Amino acid sequence: MFDIDVLLPDLWEISGAIPVTLAMALVTFVCSTIIGSLFALVEHKQIPVLREFVVAYKVVFKGVPMVIVIFLGYFGLPPALQFVASAFGMEINAHATPNWAILVVALTACLAAFQAEVVKGALNSFDKGQADAALSLGYKSSQLFRRVLFPQTVVSAIPDLANSIMVIMKALSLGFAIEVVDIFAQSQLTAALNFYYLEAFLVAVVIYMVIAYIVTTVADKMESALRVRT
Amino acid sequence: MIPELLSALPLTLAITFVAIVAGFGLALITTTFRVRRVPVISQLADLYVSYARSVPVVLQLFVSFYGLPLLVILIGGDDFLTATIAAMVGLSFYHGGYLSEVMRPAYLAVDRGQHDAADSLGYTFRQKITRIVGPQAVHIALPGYGNSIIYLIHNVALVMYIGAADVMATAHLIMERDYNQYQFPTYLVLAVIYSILCLIAWLIIRAFEVRSPMYATKEAPVRAALMPSV
Repeated sequence: MFDIDVLLPDLWEISGAIPVTLAMALVTFVCSTIIGSLFALVEHKQIPVLREFVVAYKVVFKGVPMVIVIFLGYFGLPPALQFVASAFGMEINAHATPNWAILVVALTACLAAFQAEVVKGALNSFDKGQADAALSLGYKSSQLFRRVLFPQTVVSAIPDLANSIMVIMKALSLGFAIEVVDIFAQSQLTAALNFYYLEAFLVAVVIYMVIAYIVTTVADKMESALRVRT
Repeated sequence: MIPELLSALPLTLAITFVAIVAGFGLALITTTFRVRRVPVISQLADLYVSYARSVPVVLQLFVSFYGLPLLVILIGGDDFLTATIAAMVGLSFYHGGYLSEVMRPAYLAVDRGQHDAADSLGYTFRQKITRIVGPQAVHIALPGYGNSIIYLIHNVALVMYIGAADVMATAHLIMERDYNQYQFPTYLVLAVIYSILCLIAWLIIRAFEVRSPMYATKEAPVRAALMPSV
């Protein structure tokens, strides 16, 4: 039935996958935040044609489950890459693309749609009067961005960004379908070796909850330390 | 191919429906304990909500798939559990925890004066919920509720991994029968099917959202949960 003795070896083995998971989560987070910020900027500045594209992109990637996006990337990305490469006359074997790269690309595509919302919300919370004040003081728009807009929007976005890191951590668990080993996949492999399934999965549950607790605590601390009281 | 895929749709819809109903009940109970701060139970409810929100849904499904039989045997029942029932239970727990985190902010977002007025008139908690706070909270919670339904539909696609014969599993059968020639098109079809399901759910919630403001006070702050949940 339930064997307590295997918990500790399982924990040791499964926690070996934490660094890889965190690294993939970080890459996905950075890429999707950059793309999402571009989308939010397009919507904020109301650039004609690109805006419709962004809206369509959001609708598509919010309506389709992430598993299916991952599988579409898994089967669609290498041929597409091969096609593009051969069109430019490059000699690469795109079918040797590592699976983790495909997973990161697929998740970035999904998460960009949601990060755009986060960044848009943060931009909307920015006080227009401060922009006017900075411009009237003779700031260039790059200075306005760097000294006034960016620090405030980042701080007001911290809770949502922490939330999205956790979402990415969880979304990486779908990678086991395309043979990417993260915390969840490692727990499955461990369980498959010694047949103590429930134990391994409970260890993974505890790991995920601890990581979530750490992320939210750090985010709260950062936000309360950085937020300017008015 | 499409008629065969659609033949598995009833099971997907059944799992979704059970999770919606049972998850709603669970969320009501959990939220009640959390807002009333019943000593030990509210901490347990908090733990449950953080479990439902910070652990990947695949992992939750596996935990219910391997954990439920153990539970049933411990209380001395027969092991009648199939993958479908495990999927229903797992998704209900996930949806309940997620929904509780939609309901509690909505309850707290109702104007403080309304709570105080109800309390000072001697309403019991149940009367307060059904007559004063509930109708107003519904309006605040509806966008978040719509999101949670859409994420639930997304996550029903994961049920395949514990062996329930839903649309995804049928798609895999079809693909394997065709010697895995048409994987990309099949996943495209799946993406369209899930998008349509999400669209229908969104339209239904939208219809309620149009009707709901009749009980709302003017300046209720509406902020739906932005991020997906996997």
